[in-house]
Amino acid sequence: MPLASLTLRFIDRELRNRFAGSFTGGLWALIAPLIQLAVYSFVFVHILPARIPGADAPGYVPFLFAALWPWNALAESLVRSTTVIQENASLIGKIALPREVLVLASASASFIINFAGFVAIVLVLAFAGNDVHLAGLAPAVALYVLLFAFSLGLALAFAAIQVFVRDLAQALAQILMILMFCAPIFYDRLLVSERFRGWLDLNPFTFYADAFRAALLHHGDVDATRIAIAALAAVAALAIGHRIFRRLDPHFEDFL
Amino acid sequence: MNAPLVQARGLGKAYPKVHRNADRLRALARLLFGAATGERHDVLSGVNLDVVRGESLGLIGENGAGKSTLLKLITGVLTPSCGSVRVNGTIGALLELGAGFHPEYSGRDNIAMAGALYGLEGADLRARIPDIIAFADIGDYIDEPVKHYSSGMVVRLGFAVIASLKPDLLVTDEVLAVGDESFQKKCVRWIDQYLAGGGTLILVSHSMYYVQKLCRHACWLRDGKVERYGDVFDVTQAYLAYHERKAAPVPARAEVARAGYEFSVLGVALNGVDTETPLPLEFGATLRVGIRIRSRDGRVPSVALGIVRADGTPVYGVGSEMDGATLEPGADGDYVGEVEFADLPLLPGSYTVRVHPLDPEGVRLFDTVERGIIVRGASREFGLVRLAHRWLPGAAARER
Repeated sequence: MPLASLTLRFIDRELRNRFAGSFTGGLWALIAPLIQLAVYSFVFVHILPARIPGADAPGYVPFLFAALWPWNALAESLVRSTTVIQENASLIGKIALPREVLVLASASASFIINFAGFVAIVLVLAFAGNDVHLAGLAPAVALYVLLFAFSLGLALAFAAIQVFVRDLAQALAQILMILMFCAPIFYDRLLVSERFRGWLDLNPFTFYADAFRAALLHHGDVDATRIAIAALAAVAALAIGHRIFRRLDPHFEDFL
Repeated sequence: MNAPLVQARGLGKAYPKVHRNADRLRALARLLFGAATGERHDVLSGVNLDVVRGESLGLIGENGAGKSTLLKLITGVLTPSCGSVRVNGTIGALLELGAGFHPEYSGRDNIAMAGALYGLEGADLRARIPDIIAFADIGDYIDEPVKHYSSGMVVRLGFAVIASLKPDLLVTDEVLAVGDESFQKKCVRWIDQYLAGGGTLILVSHSMYYVQKLCRHACWLRDGKVERYGDVFDVTQAYLAYHERKAAPVPARAEVARAGYEFSVLGVALNGVDTETPLPLEFGATLRVGIRIRSRDGRVPSVALGIVRADGTPVYGVGSEMDGATLEPGADGDYVGEVEFADLPLLPGSYTVRVHPLDPEGVRLFDTVERGIIVRGASREFGLVRLAHRWLPGAAARER
């Protein structure tokens, strides 16, 4: 079976699924982030003014969105992919197909939609006069690829385990919420007291939050070691996730 | 070309017993860390099967015998627990209704999706879509979501996709029964052509009519094992006879101790063979029933003889006294007789020959001894016996 075309077909289905029955269809991928951007801007500029310490620090809204939006890609792709095998039980029971494709398509669709929103946000922020470096979009794409590999690895493992232990999807939502606040997304790492600052680096997303800000806002920087560790983590997640998936795959039908 | 299209060796499938949720967690741990397997429940075991190209095989058996499981193993939807199955070609499978259709999408979208699942691409797929839609013949519904379809329409669409793919192996699981009369005919016609063109078919059906019509061989699965495999007529007849026996009441024998009988049957030989195993017989062959009866007080017994179908339906019965025949004295003071049925007109199937000794007046019936016969042959006639008949030529001329 031509795997690539099958994957594309499933991604296409997945994308159409998410906007099925809506008038504006794919436009929601752009409308949703812009509305969110407007709401956050209003709240954090006018109601609850937030500032990032430092003389040449960026505004809070670009600072927040540079990390929050990639985080949404990770969180959403994990939440959606974890149940994808379970949801496609009827298809799996009737047609022989490489089941990884289902996870791959689901994660890809989440990232595609998210990335479209990300570009829209960056352009709008730049247009509104924020100090956003559009040249940073190139490294941002590379970061997205790395983040995608990392989340696909986790998604493969989670989707396979979810078939056996249905608690995973429930637990995942809570774990993601905790991880979100344990990464420097809403705050700068400088605001964290010296004592806890080191712990932040245990969160895999901390690197991405820092790296996206470094690329687009020139705020802080990440050294080569951290990039290498993140790349290694992504490859390891992919390898282990795929292995777990392969191992459990022949038994899905028994437990679905 | 010489390798069989489908080759199963020692094929088995067992499902884990999952009673409590903790079992799921334990199963996961076992699978991930590779410890011993837990409690399992066999649905199929030790199946050896070869299906060569151009073959047509019917899978029959009771509900829960493992037919669908076997199909799923062949199509690769299930992974075998033991043994192996290899398919050297493309498979088109219609397992259950609406195989893999997404209810929210239109028929057209689902055709494209199904095409992709079977490896059809862009231009090739687009070229086939009109044919598929024409074969399905469901009118404007093709652009409606599949969830609005009737079950018959879903099957039409599914069959149309498969028909267009012309796979090396066609696997269908009791789907013909859902379509209406004209669609069933269309499918049967298509399958006939497909088989004539060298296609290979594995068909699961409870309709022996379809199995006999479409398949050359049949495989009877019983409790997850192959009970019988061979010529379609032999296997389906054995299977039907099994059902007839199941439906028949248990014969009440030995109400009185046999030793006390005035007359008892010592032996019944069919074509010279006296065994409990059923005698195989070709359709239209000659059947000889040899009877040996002991008479306690030396009087000459008469004998009644009957043939019943396996479910107990009487076919024919006759007594020596009706025919004016008498048993002859044999060795040891027994009485013997032999009846010949030349060109036995019983239709293929399983039958029982019953022999009862009677008193000389032919009034009181004593013992009962049964022997089985299996009439073999390829016939699609209905009923129990072939009635002599012929088709007259020139009917049109006489009508005028």
